[in-house]
Amino acid sequence: MKKFWALFFWFWPLVAILVCAVAPSRGWWFPSAPLSTLGHQIDGLFYLILIIVTVTFVGTQAALGYALWKGATKGSTQKAWFSHGSHKLEIIWTIVPAFILVFISLTQLDVLAEIRVISKFPDSVRNAPVAEVMARQFEWRIRYPKPGQQLMNVPQPGDLYFVNEVHVPAAIPTMINLRTQDVQHAFFVPRLRVKQDAVPGLIIPVWFEIEKAGEYELLCAELCGWGHYKMKARIIADSPKGVSEYLTRLEQEQNEDGVAEVDASKEQ
Amino acid sequence: MATITPALETHDHSHADGHGHHEQTFIQKYVFSTDHKVIGIQFLITTVLMLMVGGALALAVRWQLAFPWESMPVIGKVFGLFHGEGGQISPEFYTMLFTMHASVMIFLVIIPILAGAFGNFLIPLQIGADDMAFPVLNMLSYWFMWPAMFCFAVSFVASGPTAGPGNGWTSYPVLSDLATASPSSGAAQTWWLFGLTLVGVSSMMGSVNYMTTIINMRAPGMTLFRMPLTIWSMFITAILQSFALPVLTAAGFMLVFDRLSQLLPTTIHSVFFVPAGIIVNNAAPTVGGGQPLLWQHLFWFYSHPAVYIMLLPAMGMVSDMLACMSRKPVFGYKPMVYSMAAIAGLGFIVWGHHMFTSGMNPALGMTFMTSTMMIALPSAIKVFNWIGTIWDGNIQFNAVFLNCAAFVALFIVGGLSGIFMAAVPVDIYFHDTYFIVAHFHYVLFGATLFGVFAGIQFWFPKMFGRLMNDKVAKVHFVLTFIGMNGTFFPMHLLGIAGMPRRYADPYLHGYLEHLLPMNQFMTISAIIMGFAQFLLLGNFFLSIFYGKKAGRNPWNANGLEWSAPSPPGHGNFDVPPVCYRGPYEYSSPEAEALGQDFILQTTAPPAGVKRTAVHH
Amino acid sequence: METSIKITLKNQVLLGLLALSVSGCSDGDSSFAYSQRTQSLIKEAQNGSEGGPGVKQTLDTRFGNPQQLKAWMKLPVEWGGSAASVESFAASDTEARIKFVAQEGVTLPAVASSVQFVTGEGAGQSIALTAWDEKTGEAVLAGVPDKTPVSGDLCVIDGGSTLKSGRVLYMRHCSHCHGAAGDGNGPTAQYMIPKPRDYRHGVFKFTSTNDQSKVSRNDLLRVLKYGIPGTYMPSFLLMKEDELHAIVEYVRFLSMRGEYERRLVNELASDYSETAVSDRLASEKASDIVEELQSFLKDEFPATAETLGDDLAEIWTSADTEDAKILPTVARVEDSAESRQRGRELYLSKTLNCADCHGIDGAGNGPQTVAFEKNPVTNELYPEAGLHDVWDNPNQPRNLQRGIFRGGRRPIDLFCRIHAGIKGSRMPSFKNTPHEDIWHIVNYLLSLQFESDPGTIAAKSVAPSETGE
Repeated sequence: MKKFWALFFWFWPLVAILVCAVAPSRGWWFPSAPLSTLGHQIDGLFYLILIIVTVTFVGTQAALGYALWKGATKGSTQKAWFSHGSHKLEIIWTIVPAFILVFISLTQLDVLAEIRVISKFPDSVRNAPVAEVMARQFEWRIRYPKPGQQLMNVPQPGDLYFVNEVHVPAAIPTMINLRTQDVQHAFFVPRLRVKQDAVPGLIIPVWFEIEKAGEYELLCAELCGWGHYKMKARIIADSPKGVSEYLTRLEQEQNEDGVAEVDASKEQ
Repeated sequence: MATITPALETHDHSHADGHGHHEQTFIQKYVFSTDHKVIGIQFLITTVLMLMVGGALALAVRWQLAFPWESMPVIGKVFGLFHGEGGQISPEFYTMLFTMHASVMIFLVIIPILAGAFGNFLIPLQIGADDMAFPVLNMLSYWFMWPAMFCFAVSFVASGPTAGPGNGWTSYPVLSDLATASPSSGAAQTWWLFGLTLVGVSSMMGSVNYMTTIINMRAPGMTLFRMPLTIWSMFITAILQSFALPVLTAAGFMLVFDRLSQLLPTTIHSVFFVPAGIIVNNAAPTVGGGQPLLWQHLFWFYSHPAVYIMLLPAMGMVSDMLACMSRKPVFGYKPMVYSMAAIAGLGFIVWGHHMFTSGMNPALGMTFMTSTMMIALPSAIKVFNWIGTIWDGNIQFNAVFLNCAAFVALFIVGGLSGIFMAAVPVDIYFHDTYFIVAHFHYVLFGATLFGVFAGIQFWFPKMFGRLMNDKVAKVHFVLTFIGMNGTFFPMHLLGIAGMPRRYADPYLHGYLEHLLPMNQFMTISAIIMGFAQFLLLGNFFLSIFYGKKAGRNPWNANGLEWSAPSPPGHGNFDVPPVCYRGPYEYSSPEAEALGQDFILQTTAPPAGVKRTAVHH
Repeated sequence: METSIKITLKNQVLLGLLALSVSGCSDGDSSFAYSQRTQSLIKEAQNGSEGGPGVKQTLDTRFGNPQQLKAWMKLPVEWGGSAASVESFAASDTEARIKFVAQEGVTLPAVASSVQFVTGEGAGQSIALTAWDEKTGEAVLAGVPDKTPVSGDLCVIDGGSTLKSGRVLYMRHCSHCHGAAGDGNGPTAQYMIPKPRDYRHGVFKFTSTNDQSKVSRNDLLRVLKYGIPGTYMPSFLLMKEDELHAIVEYVRFLSMRGEYERRLVNELASDYSETAVSDRLASEKASDIVEELQSFLKDEFPATAETLGDDLAEIWTSADTEDAKILPTVARVEDSAESRQRGRELYLSKTLNCADCHGIDGAGNGPQTVAFEKNPVTNELYPEAGLHDVWDNPNQPRNLQRGIFRGGRRPIDLFCRIHAGIKGSRMPSFKNTPHEDIWHIVNYLLSLQFESDPGTIAAKSVAPSETGE
């Protein structure tokens, strides 16, 4: 029975590793490869930590299991090892992990700066948000500047409005201004590895570069009330031309006076 | 450290002055008792029952995640809260479920079971005192839990039966600040804050008591470095608690002041956390210029240290139990003490890692990242030392040991997953996903609760004079361990897959739809784990009356508490204890000389035997 | 798709009523609650007697309950399903095979689980399918039918599929606010300002149809897709088109059910409500009243119930016709300071008197917001000052300076709001106002967010970048 327990403590980490190993093939992993430039860097850091952590996990669990195995196979008459510890070991297992942890920390700094420090944002986007994403309970209200003009913090005549769908250019850096109308929300785009809280009273610039045109889920990641889970939206990345065509279309729609609509329906 | 020769003159504990000689009524003895042991047991039973309440709330959460919008058992039908909807719960009810699950588990289970139950019971016994320094304050610290529980109970119904507090246990403003912001933000939120404050009052009374007792009331010869690690951990926890808690209490009052106009028919109130011009639910726009991030800073300034308040005592207890069950001294006693102190110290400068996505200044983010990385270091040192403690020991494979080993094994997982979160860029992805939920459940359930399970079984004979059934305890261990891993390990993967927390219906989002079967598996695991706790309850309550009788020292352990009768009478020790050595001298030559593998801290060295200096 | 449904409908009308069992639904036993007004009738009127059904039974036989919905074919709801006819039928003792051929213009569904016979001997029976081949139209029936279908019999495959899927979606996304019966009283509803719509009046605020018409499908679709800004009605933009379509049909179904219930009660309330009966008891005997009611329920009520259904069908059908739609006869007047100035004059004019509610600056603070209003039904004053809607909820005039327009911010949306009014609210219809004048007002309203005095805006919009970050 003693050996059973030792094996028990060896067995479950194996199961855990196995589950993780099959996870990507079962869809229990990232929703897709990162599709933004920053996403690649974030994933790289994730896998770096994952390797370090896996080695540590396997090492410590194996050691624990072995300690148990040793205890389980020890004759009951045999004496326990009388020891109060080892100064040398303590120093080793302080210095080595400290070194690794500092190393991990240092590797993060550059990416963090790229993501968050405004002076490190790409020059092309720093002062040129393409849209304002205004979170509210429980949807995303989008405001674009009138085509050809610049986005202002205060709504301007001619601004274009939409809901739950943000059109941004693909393959070039792009920036949005994130705000909230009421409580705290968070702008989360899993496939781009982008997340930023929208804090009441603040206007927070968020930049990313989407590599390929396509649709990307956008959802809320900060509890914002009963309908938190309902904030389903999408980002549509398109060529810059496609985006400007979309905005022109949106402008037409927004100025709809019902008269043109009749003509259009007659033509059909 | 040089061996200190204990003062040999008999110390008079002068019971006659204080208590012990007059008859006590039943109420004085068992209800409003000032005896630390009774208070500890009161805390223990209360918190174990609250554990079941918190567990039931968790199962309701799991039900919704596995069978979204299906008729919820009990709540839908028996209480009939959602009759018209055919038992399908409403989303604000779901927010209440996870909020109250967390609140109950953190404030009514983990914090009070560690500091309240074990702290109270063990501190005087392990340091050789007859009671706490302030017995009445101690009694009050227990009885202040009741108004707290009352407030939490009222909060369930204060805003209507389906809208208990639902803004998360973190209760971020503006959501928690404006009564109109969500169904749960009305009176429910206010009552919740009162409950929180009262738990704080209770903890504070306990902390003051623990610090004073540990500093002033140690038995002769019980030097600081002869204290069991349990006492060290309680001491450090008490310090953490007493420094961090005022901040939370202040923040709580600030939030209550912000809510005053909703609380009382007055227009006078503050706006600490609400910026101007916010309109929710078509109420009048807010005025003033508060800062929602201020709450996050204040809240996490308490709540991050609180994470260690919820862990350190379990670490100390497990160190004690591992040494005893391996019949070996704790490996690296002093590094263990220093690493706990380091955790406590660093614990005060890492709170910002909860706010990496909050829009806080990125320079702060970098600082907090480095300090957070560094806090992994003392935890790692402790893990290595625990393994060192077991290494080549004469292991007793009983339920106590198994739970302790599980503590170490699962704490490793919780610690390692923390590294992902400390790294800001990676955390940006993981923030508010199930990865976080996995992480803190591995620490709080995997580590702390397994430590508590072990502790209950280890000190049960001292509490009641009888042993708990080891076979039942082993079954409980296996079911809980499997259920726990089955429930929480997949959460890592859900987090990596990008499933956000606190979603009543994650499957609305196409990229999460395929995770439903996994969530169903997790819910089944959780149900197994939940029902396994009835084994613990049954074992606990039946063993009080029918357990095998235990002598003073059923585990052949060394601590002072094992030299007292089981259960100890009023005033604890029949012979005033004098401490001659550290608590972990298992299998020492000294013990061998007596023909046993343990030697009580109170056993006087035989006259004429030259004692070797103990190297720590 | 469109045509297939129309053909389906044409055939199904023959049937009168189709029972749609909703299997595999999650919410166990949700129910359609009866309205307060139904419950204010005396028991006999609610429950009926042997002679004739009361309100509840009349309603239930035509609409069913959430688990067993019924399709009352005369109503203009797109129930879903594919019309087909039987080509051949073969049965052994244990198994019945049938081959269907789709009606012209109809495609057979990819998956099918039931068939309902519309004509022939077996008309009205509904049989589950255990196997289905969409290419050949061959199916295996779950049992051998009592009445043998013959070649040429008309039937509907998977009848009511749209309504049923609408219900499932509705229970997931909508019912916690709007209630299982569409009574606007789900568990979350009580915490919201304004309250979620109670469909049972059959009235929806924001429509593109003229003031006397019901809401069109398109209007409901727009609300679902774009939400109602300024309220808790969120946007469901990302839902699939067929899902949105199904929800719209289910909402229309619930609206018709509620409105039908109201109309049935109207027939009885004046004589047989609890209060009416207690008044009558002063001069009449209780047994006489009940007897009178029973003969009414037996002799007249069933026919009335049919007529009411016909009326309902007619008004809801017409809402989707071109005639119901508001069509501006002139294009929007170019937005200019002059136009806005003219709009403001009209806004303040005695005839339109917008300022009476919306205030002279459009801040939604006109004199009416502080006056006490009478409840038109009970003739009692409302407890709080200000305006109220037909749902008896306080309904303050919009603050037009906030730039939030609940019914949409397109010029045509605002045009419709003015032309048809906001149904159910105190915003009246200004359909007799010349369209050009309405456009002037629209221009003025759209500028209110930026300027209180028309004319100052032009200078600003020339160089917006100057006011930038």
